[in-house]
Amino acid sequence: MNEKPLPRDAFIDEVYEYATRDRNIIFITADLGAKALDRFRRDLPGQFFHLGICEQNMIDVAAGLAQNGRIVFVYAMGPFVTLRCLEQIKVALASMHLPCCIVGNGVGYSYDDAGPTHYATEDVACMRSIAGCEVLTVGDTWSARLTARRSCTDPGLRYVRLDRAFLPDAHVEGDDRLWNDGITVVAPGEKTLLLANGFMLQRALEVRSLLAESAPAPAVADLFRTTPIRGDVLRSLTAPFDRLVTIEEHFLSGGSGGAIAEAMADHGISKPLMRIAIPDQYRFDNGGRRYLLELVGLDVRTMADRVREFATN
Amino acid sequence: MRVERSSLMEKAAWLRRECFEMVVRSRKGHFPSSSSCADILVTLMYGGWMRCTAANPRAPERDRLFISKGHAGMALYPILEDMGFVAKGELLKFTKADGVFKFYPDQSIPGIEAITGSLAHGIGIATGHCLAGRQDGRDFRCYVIVSDGECYEGSTWEAALFASHQRLNRLVVFVDRNGCCILDHTEKCVALDPLAEKWRAFGWNVIEIDAHDVGQIDEALQAAEACTDKPTAIVALSIKGKGVSFMENRPEWHNKMPNEEQVAIARRELDVTTA
Repeated sequence: MNEKPLPRDAFIDEVYEYATRDRNIIFITADLGAKALDRFRRDLPGQFFHLGICEQNMIDVAAGLAQNGRIVFVYAMGPFVTLRCLEQIKVALASMHLPCCIVGNGVGYSYDDAGPTHYATEDVACMRSIAGCEVLTVGDTWSARLTARRSCTDPGLRYVRLDRAFLPDAHVEGDDRLWNDGITVVAPGEKTLLLANGFMLQRALEVRSLLAESAPAPAVADLFRTTPIRGDVLRSLTAPFDRLVTIEEHFLSGGSGGAIAEAMADHGISKPLMRIAIPDQYRFDNGGRRYLLELVGLDVRTMADRVREFATN
Repeated sequence: MRVERSSLMEKAAWLRRECFEMVVRSRKGHFPSSSSCADILVTLMYGGWMRCTAANPRAPERDRLFISKGHAGMALYPILEDMGFVAKGELLKFTKADGVFKFYPDQSIPGIEAITGSLAHGIGIATGHCLAGRQDGRDFRCYVIVSDGECYEGSTWEAALFASHQRLNRLVVFVDRNGCCILDHTEKCVALDPLAEKWRAFGWNVIEIDAHDVGQIDEALQAAEACTDKPTAIVALSIKGKGVSFMENRPEWHNKMPNEEQVAIARRELDVTTA
């Protein structure tokens, strides 16, 4: 048992703190639990709804609550709270410009034993296409807290991606530059900048350590906010580096790497870019997350080899 | 009844004429679906039920009306103009660049609560309003008009389950049971009957009425008001295209435009006086 909370518990605990002071904060689940949620539903029953396993209705109900000034969090597994109710998100939330924090737990291969039904490997692409929806991938405990806090104080339409696994600290607690900039460097380096998010942030740091054994270490940045990307931040952040590499546990099409490529094109940032992501193919393999990542080339050694080759070409 | 039956019937006849003329003028819109729920809308809006004023259409204590069958949203437009929610003359600008009335309704139009057009959003959104009203201790009601075609959508039944579990007695859904979707009659493509039984099985207070009898509509609304522990579904048996003989109960007229000769026949039947 980790002493540090899981991302979902860190997130929900923070929402709880705000909800005890603001009755407008409403938390809705489509039958997904969390240790921290037990306390929320016990102490704040008037601000908690179990919608049943009905993601589509959950979004419509959230829209109706938001129209009445409520700050609504909707919570379910990543693939279900996005793709299952994508049209409701488009019509009832986005087209009516309503705030709602859509919280997807267990993104990427988080539910590693479950197979493609439970993998969220195309959710970024789908949610990035919803006009006005922020897409945020949480990479450590602090950023989970920060995201929850700011979603309570600055409501907007956003999709928050939480990993099912415990994520070690990558940021300095209390530093909220991440919220303003969306992307921040978490480990210094030279020549090459690795932009990674979620579960892959720690893997990128491991790639950095491995490469540092034989060459100057690349820098690592947390690609926390995939949509929208601030052009000024991306320009200044990438200026010291020759090459950029994006690393994500998501399909290559339309993911965070794609977002970076688009932002570079839009803001006239011209540098070699390599996108490391899951090839666009569903996997049905047993063996756990590390093994799955190995199968799709997202293990630390394979990624280090690719980055080394990319950096020397 | 709070308002004379004959007065509501006159209003319904007026509404059908206005809807038909909107379609003739713009060559756009859905007359048959609008006509099938015209008597319901008139009873709600002029029959003393909807508490919502043009002076403050977003007042927190207002009653809310959701035309979940968005293709019939245009049926509310003549009423909104008549009641002063929009300026006189807006009806003539239906779907025009400088007009406020869109092909499908959305929240930018005074008196419209939420965007519809994509089916089966209305009950869920209204449910959110009801929950907020309950939390705030307000006694407003939410009225939703759904088509029977919307009862094909899974989200309708997701919403039906939850509203009933929450005992949202201030939620009243009219199911406009005209029996037609676009390609066929509902019972021929995928049968919906027994539709009232389905709503009953989902825990709703169900009332079956004739959708074109303003007296029955009013009585059903009274029964809904008297029900304290369940949402109410008023399954209203209607005729799609009501008032225009060649359109009545003919699915192919869903969004077909009448030719000149047909316009003349329809006007006679709807008793339109043309300038």
